[in-house]
Amino acid sequence: MRSFSVAGLLALLALCMTPAVSGAREHLQVFVTQPYLELHTGAGRGYPVFNVVPRDESVQVLFRRTEWFKVRTERGVEGWASQRDMLKTVLADGSPFTFDLGDRSGFTSHRYEIGMFAGAWGGATLISGYSSYSFNSQLALEGALGQYLGKFSNGVTADIGLTHVLVPEWRLSPFLMIGTGLVHIEPKATLVQPSVRTEQTAYVGAGVRFYLTRRFFLRAEFKSHYIFTNRNQNEEADEWKMGFAFFF
Amino acid sequence: MENGIRVLLLTVALAALSGCASVRNWYHHREEVKDAQAQAREDARQAEQSPDDDTAPRVVEPQVERRKIKVPKIRSTNVELGLDYGALSIEDFGTNPSYGATLAYHVTEDFFFQGEYGRSKGGRTSFETLGGNIQLLTPAERRFTYYDLSLGYNFLPGEAFLGRGHALTSAFYVLGGIGSTDFAGDNKFTVNFGAGYRVLPSDWLAIHITVQDRVFQSDLLGVTKLTNNIEMRVGTTVFF
Repeated sequence: MRSFSVAGLLALLALCMTPAVSGAREHLQVFVTQPYLELHTGAGRGYPVFNVVPRDESVQVLFRRTEWFKVRTERGVEGWASQRDMLKTVLADGSPFTFDLGDRSGFTSHRYEIGMFAGAWGGATLISGYSSYSFNSQLALEGALGQYLGKFSNGVTADIGLTHVLVPEWRLSPFLMIGTGLVHIEPKATLVQPSVRTEQTAYVGAGVRFYLTRRFFLRAEFKSHYIFTNRNQNEEADEWKMGFAFFF
Repeated sequence: MENGIRVLLLTVALAALSGCASVRNWYHHREEVKDAQAQAREDARQAEQSPDDDTAPRVVEPQVERRKIKVPKIRSTNVELGLDYGALSIEDFGTNPSYGATLAYHVTEDFFFQGEYGRSKGGRTSFETLGGNIQLLTPAERRFTYYDLSLGYNFLPGEAFLGRGHALTSAFYVLGGIGSTDFAGDNKFTVNFGAGYRVLPSDWLAIHITVQDRVFQSDLLGVTKLTNNIEMRVGTTVFF
């Protein structure tokens, strides 16, 4: 079983390497309009400038990593150009080269979010992660996975639902959530009824997000879960959590 | 009280989720629709009149196919996935080989999010070794499985030189985060912190050396204490 999972991971790795290795693809060509475009030796602000591309010459954009673009000049020199410098280049038809920047406007309106949280689920310590897909600047489909570790039971939670950001333009903006999910409860052996069970849940909640810098924001939220059990009474659990997230 | 909050939240959520986005500017929207309809009527009238135009009919109908210009997309390579192998020192249970996988997303040139998953196995405590036939844990309970969600910060970025001709970009980084450890039949909330060195032989390949400490509370040996479980590992990752 172990060797199987290791082999699986290796296969996955090999799959992921294929696009990185295959080089035959068409690249975007942009033209320098400033006096020159600086090329750095690495994707970071401290790496030295080793080459410049003069005005009206073009570069091919090979790929992007964080705020840096790997480019190839007409003479075949490859180097890294910063996002700030690339904003001043133009496409072949003269229109400016635009791309998503990861700034305040990106915070207002973006496609994906990923984040991680620490908090409490029904009184137990919670570790959780989420990702979301935004339909527009206000409405997003969101999935969250969490593990809670308590004195009397451990468990795993999975939620899927909709999130509605009330005023996306605000730096500190509230949002509302509604959705459904599953909770897998593993009571510790010391309890009277130590039955492992998986139950369906429904939740409603609210939270706030606060833009920090670049692509980062803080997020804090409260969810009120209703757990549908097959016993006489349904259960309730409150979830509080706070964490970091980024958008892209 | 609890139910009160729930009902209130539910009502507000239902009211808001129905799509404030589409409800916004509804008044202006209606005016826009009116304008568009008026424009359409005008266009239709003009189209009816057009046969009476005295412009000469075209002799040759130009059949120019517009060239569709496809702007190539720029590939983002912010995700880093890899495997690692190393040694994990489990407090009181000796040092044992460990292996795992990491998945990272580089958000900016400085910060990255990282998820780690790894496995190892606890050895025998000195108590068990000295006590002869005593077994504190079953073989299944000795399995040490962890996962973490961490935030990393690249500091001291630089270049490593291989002779005169090659420079490889590199960086030291620090990591910190939370996660869970499954050991001795229980899941423990785990805080981790560590540091590492990453060197990139090519744009898509990286080699890592990481030292990470996983701290969790354990009462396995009678007293509740914080245990430090330090792991050193070497890994290779690919960017895509």
